[in-house]
Parts: sequence; C-alpha cells; structure tokens
Amino acid sequence: MQLCDLPAYQLVEMIKRRQVSAVEVLESTLQRIQAVDGLPGSLAAEGGALETDKVHAFITLTAERARRQAEQVDEAIRAGEDPGPLAGVPFTVKDIFCVRDTPSTAGSRILANFVAPYTATPVARMEAAGGVMLGKVNLDEFTYGSSSESSAFQPSPRNPWDTSRVPGGSSGGCTAAVAAGEGPLSLGTDTAGSIRQPAAFCGVVGMKPTYGRVSRYGLIAFGSSLDCPGPVAHQVRDAALMLQAIAGRDPRDATAANIPVEDYLARLEEEVRGLRIGLSPDYFRITYPDPQGEGFRQEPLPAAISDAVMRAAGRLAELGADIVEDVPMPHTRFGIPAYFVISRVEAASNLHRYDGVKYGYRTPDYVDDLNEMYRRTRAQGFGPQPKLRILMGMYVSAAQYSQQYYTLALRVRTLIRGDFEAAFDPAGRYRLHALLTPTTPTTAFPIGDVYGDSVLMQYADQLTVPANHAGIPGISLPAGFDEAGLPIGVQLLGPDFSEALLLRLGRAFEMVTAEDAWRQRQPPVLNGVRG
Amino acid sequence: MPAYEAVIGLETHIQLNTSSKIFCPCKADSWNDPPNTNICPVCTGLPGVLPVLNQAAVEKAILLATAMHAEVQPVSYFDRKNYFYPDLPKGYQISQYDMPIARGGYLDLPMPDGSLRRVSILKLHLEEDAGKTRNDAGRRLIDFNRCGVPLVEMVTGPDLRSADEAAQYLIRLRQLLRWLGVSEADMEKGHLRCDANVSIRPTGADYLNPKTEIKNVNSIVAVRDAILTEIERQTREVEAGRRIEAWTLEWDEDAGVLRKMRSKETEADYRYFREPDLLPLRVDEAWRQRLLAEFPELPLERRQRFVEQYGLPEYDADILTGERSLSEYFEAAVRSYAGDPKRVSNWLMNDVLRMINELAIPAGELRLTPAYLAEIIKLVDSGAVNTSTGKALLEKVQSSGKAPEAIVQVEGLARVSDQDAIQAACAQVLAENPEQVASYRAGKVTLIGWFVGQVMRKMRGKADPQLARAALEALLKE
Ligand SMILES: [Zn+2]
Repeated sequence: MQLCDLPAYQLVEMIKRRQVSAVEVLESTLQRIQAVDGLPGSLAAEGGALETDKVHAFITLTAERARRQAEQVDEAIRAGEDPGPLAGVPFTVKDIFCVRDTPSTAGSRILANFVAPYTATPVARMEAAGGVMLGKVNLDEFTYGSSSESSAFQPSPRNPWDTSRVPGGSSGGCTAAVAAGEGPLSLGTDTAGSIRQPAAFCGVVGMKPTYGRVSRYGLIAFGSSLDCPGPVAHQVRDAALMLQAIAGRDPRDATAANIPVEDYLARLEEEVRGLRIGLSPDYFRITYPDPQGEGFRQEPLPAAISDAVMRAAGRLAELGADIVEDVPMPHTRFGIPAYFVISRVEAASNLHRYDGVKYGYRTPDYVDDLNEMYRRTRAQGFGPQPKLRILMGMYVSAAQYSQQYYTLALRVRTLIRGDFEAAFDPAGRYRLHALLTPTTPTTAFPIGDVYGDSVLMQYADQLTVPANHAGIPGISLPAGFDEAGLPIGVQLLGPDFSEALLLRLGRAFEMVTAEDAWRQRQPPVLNGVRG
Repeated sequence: MPAYEAVIGLETHIQLNTSSKIFCPCKADSWNDPPNTNICPVCTGLPGVLPVLNQAAVEKAILLATAMHAEVQPVSYFDRKNYFYPDLPKGYQISQYDMPIARGGYLDLPMPDGSLRRVSILKLHLEEDAGKTRNDAGRRLIDFNRCGVPLVEMVTGPDLRSADEAAQYLIRLRQLLRWLGVSEADMEKGHLRCDANVSIRPTGADYLNPKTEIKNVNSIVAVRDAILTEIERQTREVEAGRRIEAWTLEWDEDAGVLRKMRSKETEADYRYFREPDLLPLRVDEAWRQRLLAEFPELPLERRQRFVEQYGLPEYDADILTGERSLSEYFEAAVRSYAGDPKRVSNWLMNDVLRMINELAIPAGELRLTPAYLAEIIKLVDSGAVNTSTGKALLEKVQSSGKAPEAIVQVEGLARVSDQDAIQAACAQVLAENPEQVASYRAGKVTLIGWFVGQVMRKMRGKADPQLARAALEALLKE
C-alpha cells in the first residue's frame, strides 16, 4: 500500500495530524502517474499503440501548480490553521471544466489552445477546501460518448482492469485515474450516465447528484438541462466528503438549487433497516431499436450483471432493508430516444459559440468570407461526434420538425419523471427510498468494438439516462466482477436531494461486502507497481 | 384612381437603463467607453459560463408593461434564438419567444383634432443586446461592450395610419419611458430603436397587403421620412400595376433613400428553444404589488387632471406634462403659491421652461425651487417688486441659490413708490430731453411710454410705472 492508494478521508486525517505531509502525498501520487499513465493525450500522438499497457488518463498534468498547492496546505498546518476538509487530497478534473490559467480543451481540437481565464465553481470549491489539483483528464470530445475514445487527444484512456478495453465515458479519464491510484478523487460530469457508467466499468464509486445540487458554472456545456458535476472516488465516504465540498447554491448558476446542503458524513454509517429498496424488471432488459426493421428488440442483461444486482439486493436485505420487487418503470425504454433529441438540440446550440472569432481554433486557411471562415473552422476544429450532434440537433430543432421531435421528447421526459415520482411517492403503492438497478447493460467493451456506431454506443447509457431526464440523484457502486474479470456496477437511484440516503445505502453495502473476496482484487495495471 | 391609406406597425427595441447588464455584473451603459472595456466571461460567451438574470431589468420591464396596460404574465420563459454572427458571442441570443413577460396593451396618442388614436401592443419581451461590428479597411472589428445590455422588444399592431402618427407614437413612447425612468430613450444613442412595417391599401379596406420592413432608423425624423418615402414608393408601384414584395429595407439617412437589404423569403430559422440555463421567470403577485406601489400617474392622465383640477388650457397641460419632473415642479409651485394655477403656468412656460432648456437639466434639479418661484410670483402680485424685477429674480435665484426675498433685501430691488423720488426722477428726465418734451406737447402723446422707460432706467427698474406715468403726465401738462 502506498500513500496514493489510501482513501481521501484517511489522507486528510494523516495530513492534519502531521503524520504525513501534503507534499509527500502529492509526490507519491505523481510517482504513480509516472509509473502507470504513459503518454498524455495530445493532438499529434498516435503513440498509444506503443504503450498498450498504460492508463493514459491525463491530457494536462499540472505538477508544479499542484506542488504549490500542497506546500500551502503544509504551511497552513504548520501555522496551526485548518486547510479544510480536503486538506492535501490530490484530485483530477475532467477536462470539461475551466480552470484558470490551465488548458481547458473539452477533448477537442477546437479548444486545444484555449486557456481558461476563470475557474469552475466545483473546482474552486475543492481547492478552497484544501484539495490539490493534479491536472486535467481525458474524456470523449465535449463529453459526447460512452467510451472516451472520441477525444481529439490520443491515446484515449484505457481501463486499468484491462488496458485493451475502454474505461467507459465520457468521464473515462476520471474513473481510470481513480482506479489506478492517480489521485483518490476526481471531478466528473454526468449527462446520461457519464460518471456512473465509467465508474461501473472501472470498479469505482461514481455519483450523479440531483440536477442543480452542484453548480455547473465553468462546466463546458453539453446538454445544459441534463449536465451534473459529481464525484468519482474509491469509496463511498470519499464521495460523500467530496460532494460535501462541491454542493450548494452558486450565485453564478441560476439553476443551482437554493436548498441547504445536508451533512453527508454525519449519518453515513447509520443502519439501513426498514428502508424500502425497489427492483424493476424494466431495468433488467435492454431495448434497442431494430436496425433491420421497424420497432424495438429486447434483450435480457448478461447473467453476471443481473446476478450482481440480485446479490446486492440480498446483502441489503440481510441488513434489514425491505426489497420491493416488480416496480414498474414503463418509460425507461424511451429514455435514450428522448435523450437523443433533447441533448442534441442543446448541444448544437451550445456549440454555436465555437466559431473561430473569439478564442480556440480558427482555420489557418486564407478566407475573405465570414461564412467560409465559420465553415472551415468548424469543419476542421470539430471531430465526428460534435458534428453528428450538430447535424441531428439542427435537424430536430428546425421549425418544421421541432413539434414532432423536441416537444415530444420533452413530454417523454415528463413521463419518465412520472415513473420515479410514482415509485418514490411516500403515499403511493411502492413508497421506495431507492431503486436498485444495474448501472450498465454490459461490462467494459474492447477499444474499437462499439466506437463508430454512435447509436449502439448511446445504449450503454440506457439504465443511467432516466435519472438525468428526471433530475434525480444516482450512485454507481462496485458490486463484483464478471467471468472476464471486469468490474460490475450496481446503481441506486433516489428522489430529489436524497444524496445522503443514497450514500448511506452505498456505505452499508460497502461495509457488508468489505470482506468479500472480490473486494480484495486490484487492477492488473497496478501489478508490480503497487509493491 | 383610389385613395390609399398606410398601415404601419412599429417594432421598438428599448434599452433599459439598469446599472448592470441583464445576465452578468458588467456595467450596462458603455457610451463613450473604449471598445471591450465592459466585458466579462459571461457576456463574451466563454466556454462554461452561465447567465444569471438581473432582477432590475425584470422590474423595469414590468413597469413599462403596466404603463402600456399590458398583462404581465405570472410565468414567462427565456428562449434561445440561434444564429451566427461575430458580435453575438454565444451564437445565440437569449430572448423570449412564445411566452413573453407581457402580452396585449395599448398606448393612446392624442391627435391634433383632440381625439385619441389607440395603438395596440401585441407583446413585450425581454432580451439581451448583441455587440457592435465595425468594418475597418477590410477588417471586421468587434466591440462586445453592448453584449448583454437589457432590451425590451415591444411590437405594436398595424394600427398607425401615417408617418406622422408613427412619429407621434415614438414621441409619446419616449415621453413615457423617461417618465417611468426605465430608459434614457435617446434614439441617437440607440436607447430606442425602431423598425417599421409598412403597407398600403385602398382607404377603408379591412385587409392587409404584403408589407415591407424598414430597419436602421435612428431618429424620430428619420422614421417619419423613411415611412413617407416608402408610402410614396408603394403607391407608385401599385399605381404602375406592380406587386409589393416583402422586402427588408434599410434607411440611408444621408441620401434619404431606402435600400433593399434582403427578401423576406430567405429569412433564417432561429430554431428557438427554451433556455435551459435560466429558470422560468415567475412574477408573483406580492412582487408585482410591491413594485407597483409607487407607480406614477401617467402623462395623459396627469394632463387630463391638470385641465380639470387647475383649469389649465389643453396647451398648457400638454407642455407641463411633457416631462415628469416638470409636471411635478408645476404642482409643487401651485401648492406653494396657493393662487391661480394659470398664473404659475404662465411663469413656468414663458420663463422657467426656457431656463430649463438652456441649462438642459430636469426641472427638479433647478436651484430655483418651486417654492422660490411661488415666492417671486407673490412678490410681483403684492407689488413689492415689479414684473421685470420679478423676471430678473428668476435668474438671480437660479445662479445664486438664494431665497428671492433675501436677494430683494440685499440688492435693494424693492419697488420705489416714494412719490418724491419718482417726482424728482421725472423732472430730471424732462429737463434732460427738451426736444421730446416739445414734440409731446405738440401732440405726440405716445411718447409717454418712452418717458416712463427713461424714468425706469434712471431708477434701475424699481419705480412703480403707474406712479411714474401719472407724475410725468402731470409735469408735461404744466
Ligand atoms: Zn459581462
């Protein structure tokens, strides 16, 4: 065990007790990055082919900036001051957040040269709490994907459990980094499952808070009505610690909730006896549009995944939770089609500002026509994923189609929210405190397997996207491995602002499975590194 | 040949005079500021920023909507209007589309014949302004200072029937905007911008013909000229048997001509959708009540009241209610004076108004307060000073800020009614002007006025002219 493998809450205690310095923790983490990460993502390199056993989580490592922050933490402690609840904890940031004076690329050529002049609220809050930012980690271009492969900065991140596989996405750099001990915390974003799905793929904890619980200020927007910043961590307690630091109202984000932030740690280990946990058959099958013909094709989930969920339900039942079966969530299957429309309308509009006028990439070609400058800049600056989203977003929001698609999708969204309201209604039939589901329909897939089929790729989010439509919180927890040794995640979904309860359930599950054999495994990428 | 009538609707953009912009804390008014000095990540559309609605802009929009008798909506929404332009940094404008902050309403225009023309208002919505683009030797220079300045867009029904009526609408709107204190309403500075939709039809017809839209008109005179020109053009076209096409026209003020900008058919699809970064705009009753608690009497209402309550002629009432501060000044002066309001009106309209115009300040900022004005009129009424001294006092009070009574005391301006002093002055004037005395005595009695003037001059205006005249006549008869 090295310092960089310890959970954040332990590091904070040790640093505050001066058992170890923030600088020592940082150096341990930098050594780990040096050992496992390999080449950072860049616009030029295709060198990933040479380093197939590395994680490649980073785009920009800001080691010197981190050293200065760690030194400040140590100085504060020496001066008898409290540097805050994240004192000296190294963390990574998905490169979709602006951080002052650092490249903030969104994984896109069009922002490759953009250095942000301001810092996103959640990053600023982690730093204010004593956190030490290591740098910016890789992602799908503008977060558009579920594998992190679409980044313009290659090589894209690998799964530490099997580097021939994807870490999931779009927060794949975050989850790969945490799984490999490159900082115990990472700040990700979740628009359709972009924290929870890669967390499941990489065997770590990932939480999407309630929409508006964490400010979006400084998060380069994808689907503005769906985007949620959230924590990625090894352990539930760390996720709670981090959420505590970043949650809360923000005068710079009108959609950030004014509701007071609960104490996520105070009741974290209270018992879960009597809590009602639902299981829905609608989360145990996956519904694809049939590419050959009309309609949809339904497939059951792989047995390893269903079994993991049922085992988790069993363990929670052992602790006295009531398991409620057969909760209908009939609109789950419409989540992806509705998401296709809503997210793309918002994305196309959010991408308008990248026009080569003010910042970012501008075509080097000589053009004397404004529209030609726009065309070339955007054609050269955007990769295929943003282009697909612009095309579809423009199409479905055009005046003559918008009723047919966008307005309809918004109605579907209301129906999906209705499913949850019925399930969580304290006076209703099910009165659930939480719904327990698989996080993903599959475990991590091989690099290149799904990439290119952006419809199929999207279905990786089928079980996570309903929470984004509904705005409710969800957490993915490691829950075992499949036959190939790949992590499986289970998801808990709860009503608005039930983060404390979800974390408590997650912690209970973590404690009851602490001695399980699967809990003792470590990612192969750390073999021979961890010592 | 049939007679035609014009059918005109105006679309106005009103810049609200809030201190900060509509979605960020930058200073809203950049008049005379160097380019790109009032900007921040939000109003320049940097990646990751979010808009936060300025409540002051909403409150000013509610005041305006109320004054237009429009219905303020309890819930309205912001939408994105998507298009590419270099001075639109986000590539979309945050505006309101199908659920604006207020709907309906009207503005009444007093017509020269005493009637009122009611101009309907279709809707008012809030939006952000774009920046400015300037072409400089083949380069495009962009100033983002104006990005995010709050605007209200207000659209009238096709209710105006002439270029003069359109001008009248803008004059009354400008008066109202200043009255409410929601906009500086200076067209030359772009605080009030106007596009005009113009069509013609045979007089009395009830259908609408295709219309053209005139953009880029920067003064009330320009609006009138542009509309007149367009009505003439359309009339010529129709008489020649040609169809009017739905063009967008631009007014070239210097050349006095309209230029075609584009055909309407090529208009863009703005792909409006709800702005996800802002919450629905809720105007609850308590907020509205609080805001409207001090809602002022409006110009036309006050004008009517001045006629009824003070017995003023329409003409006086109209001028005195042209500007809110002036109307308040008048009422305060009438209260202080406690005499005939018309007498206050005369003093105000003849002399004080000229002073206000020369100084270019609102009436409320004069050092000549309403109470001082009333005091001066009373001094004249009581005969303590004569009228010309009274008028001179106006200037003296304004320049010194001292009370009229004090100035009279210090400068010895009180009217001299001392018979002996007047007698002496008259004798002196007659002695000094034997030729005039001779012609008077030869029958040119109109010279008496000239003699009085000489006496007044000699006594530095303090003589009672009545007494002087009587004394002169007596002496000349001798
Ligand atoms: Zn600004």
